Amino acid sequence: MIVKKASEIPNQHHHHHMSTSRQSEPDDPSASEKWAANLLQDCAKAISEKDSSKIHHLLWMLNELASPYGDCEQKLASYFLQALFCKATESGERCYKTLVSVAEKSHSFESARKVILKFQEVSPWTTFGHVASNGAILEALEGEAKLHIIDISNTYCTQWPTLLEALATRSDETPHLRLTVVATVGMGGGSVMKEIGQRMEKFARLMGVPFEFHVVRVASQLGELKEEDLGLREDEAVAVNCVGALRRVAVEERGDFMRLLCSLRPRVVTVVEEEADFTSTGSEYVRCFEECLRFYGVFFEMLEESFAPTSNERLSLERECSRSILSVLACDGDGVGDCERREKGSQWFARLMQAFSPMNFSDDVVDDVRALLKRYRSGWSLLPAQGDDSGLYLTWKDEPVVWASAWKP
Amino acid sequence: MFPLATMSNSTSISEEASVSSETRAHDFNKSLSSPLTPISPPHYQQQQQEPQPKSQKKRSQPGNPDPDAEVIALSPKTLMATNRFVCEICNKGFQRDQNLQLHRRGHNLPWKLRRRSSKEGMRKRVYVCPEPTCVHHHPSRALGDLTGIKKHYSRKHGEKKWKCDRCSKTYAVHSDWKAHVKTCGTREHRCDCGTLFSRKDSFITHRAFCEALAEENARLIAASGPHAAAAANMTVTTITPPLLHHHLFLPFSSCYSLPNPNPNPSPYQLKPEDSLPSLHPYLHHLHTTTTTSSSSSPHMSATVLLQRASTMGPITTTSSATTSAAGGCQTGSSMFDAGDPSAWQRSDSLTRDFLGAVAGETGEEELLSFNGALGLDMVTAASRGRIDRPKRFAGFPPATDTWGDC
Repeated sequence: MIVKKASEIPNQHHHHHMSTSRQSEPDDPSASEKWAANLLQDCAKAISEKDSSKIHHLLWMLNELASPYGDCEQKLASYFLQALFCKATESGERCYKTLVSVAEKSHSFESARKVILKFQEVSPWTTFGHVASNGAILEALEGEAKLHIIDISNTYCTQWPTLLEALATRSDETPHLRLTVVATVGMGGGSVMKEIGQRMEKFARLMGVPFEFHVVRVASQLGELKEEDLGLREDEAVAVNCVGALRRVAVEERGDFMRLLCSLRPRVVTVVEEEADFTSTGSEYVRCFEECLRFYGVFFEMLEESFAPTSNERLSLERECSRSILSVLACDGDGVGDCERREKGSQWFARLMQAFSPMNFSDDVVDDVRALLKRYRSGWSLLPAQGDDSGLYLTWKDEPVVWASAWKP
Repeated sequence: MFPLATMSNSTSISEEASVSSETRAHDFNKSLSSPLTPISPPHYQQQQQEPQPKSQKKRSQPGNPDPDAEVIALSPKTLMATNRFVCEICNKGFQRDQNLQLHRRGHNLPWKLRRRSSKEGMRKRVYVCPEPTCVHHHPSRALGDLTGIKKHYSRKHGEKKWKCDRCSKTYAVHSDWKAHVKTCGTREHRCDCGTLFSRKDSFITHRAFCEALAEENARLIAASGPHAAAAANMTVTTITPPLLHHHLFLPFSSCYSLPNPNPNPSPYQLKPEDSLPSLHPYLHHLHTTTTTSSSSSPHMSATVLLQRASTMGPITTTSSATTSAAGGCQTGSSMFDAGDPSAWQRSDSLTRDFLGAVAGETGEEELLSFNGALGLDMVTAASRGRIDRPKRFAGFPPATDTWGDC
């Protein structure tokens, strides 16, 4: 793109300049199929090169074309534009805090429940991890009379009703279950978890499972969690369940966090994470940007195909993504609430190997997961880990998107 | 209390043939029915009952045989064998002798259909399970039907070789599996709130969070004291106070600060006076309809926003959206918000400048204003001129679409 002077007014005339210099771009850049990626990446590049006029131009163009209510391309353009803008203007932290605050205000049990239950109905994105983890937990704690599950997840306890039902029906002696949920800032105010806790207790009563529920709140970073906060008891068998949790730990604290989990002496640790790498790219902005765009491109496309076209729940999920995107691409990471720097299964595998040994999912559990996927629309499939790592991958159109694994001490 | 000790001629499990003995089951219940139908035991004088299992999980226990019946103990091998009766000509196996006889007719062999038992004064036969730990191992709990004892042995002590595709349930007996597969996934689950589910797992998860559950339990708790105490089980341990960032906003406060004042997460509909729908999908121009005071700092209370909403003018909502959104309406725009996005556009009239030139390279003063729902204005302060109108974007879907629950 040739921009002679920064003072040139962006107007129709300018488009022609643009189009001749681009590869095969027609006059209307929005006509080509994956136009958003091109523009966005060019902009990211311009930012990393500090090419001010180019930045302005691209931001302007993106603004023209983007919309959070349009098609996938427009949505991606919109949310990534926000991140690019904040990066360019160094206002990421402020913007993030605004988003968090607004979210907290509007966040209620009702709204959270609605969105996540709908999401689980139309997509196995979260239920995949739940089924695999529950299967591993039930098998590892078989025969124990007192169970303590330490739940560090972002799925608002939707994993547990089916586990409670399984505990109630499958064994003759129903064990006593204690559930300790570790909640971070991003999970809304105290009222949400309180309501969830009450529902869980009631449901457990209905199922006939002796049950206790506790919430442990972590003020800022998950890495601050301490063993003593959890109130472990002598006679119980511990399972640690981490769904979308490890990525919320600051990158440099992840090793320590593994050691903390190890110190809890669990019988089993279940880990579920999304398959993306926003960590190893480090300070290389453009590469990190590309990976971010790739991952959220898949996620948004999946959302679009899973929900009805005018779903409010999908809109909520997309907005939630915009915060993660902002956090990864426009914030430096210090004190901005939950970190969102995902790592791929193989990377987590290497980390977890420092503190635990891998545990394979049994055939029964794998069958359960397969049966689960059958209950959804086509496009989803199961891929056992090959080579160096262990666990299971959920794939969407043959692309691995979620990784589930189990570990023992 | 257990007069069955007369079972002195009891068979050893390994024996192939049946051994009859003069054993009598304790007399209390003369009627003998198939082991699979739950027999209601009127007088359970024989006290070999297991501890009652929890709630309604198990049926009443079968196997209360005729006290005069002949007790037969078959070996596991016999019980598991299929197609015991083999045709000598073609080696085809049959489960029953009668079937083999009928088959022999085809070879022009002599065949004979023997009528068994009762008419000839032969005593009714009952069968015990060879597995010593099993309930039905004891003659007082013998099962009355050969097929029944065979199936029982497979089911309880055999390997589960058949698995349901849909739900992963396993079965040892093929016919059990077949029967299950027929109904698996076809049964619907209904929650107290009225919603119907085809999937058991979605049903369970829904049920756990459903309002109906909350209400039902509220009644129970009110009724019985001890439960109220149990509710106090839940504790919240806060390590340090949660993080609040309100004070940091002001210059930036216009963006994202526009929680939806409309209590109904309505479908996304245009106000009548916005004549936009047919425009180019990418470029829309919003009227700056409202006063700047509407774009306030984010920590404005919900009540105030609601009041503002009512003065701003109506947003048309469809009734279906209202009812279906019964659960979800809150003010606020992000994070699980099923809010009305149009409110964002309406109140983002305020253009705030907050930064000078990026990296100051050009020496020109370029003001970037960022307002409302990711609207981006670029206004060059230099005299070269401006874009006529601040171009805000808002992707309005075609007017025929509505936003609502999917």
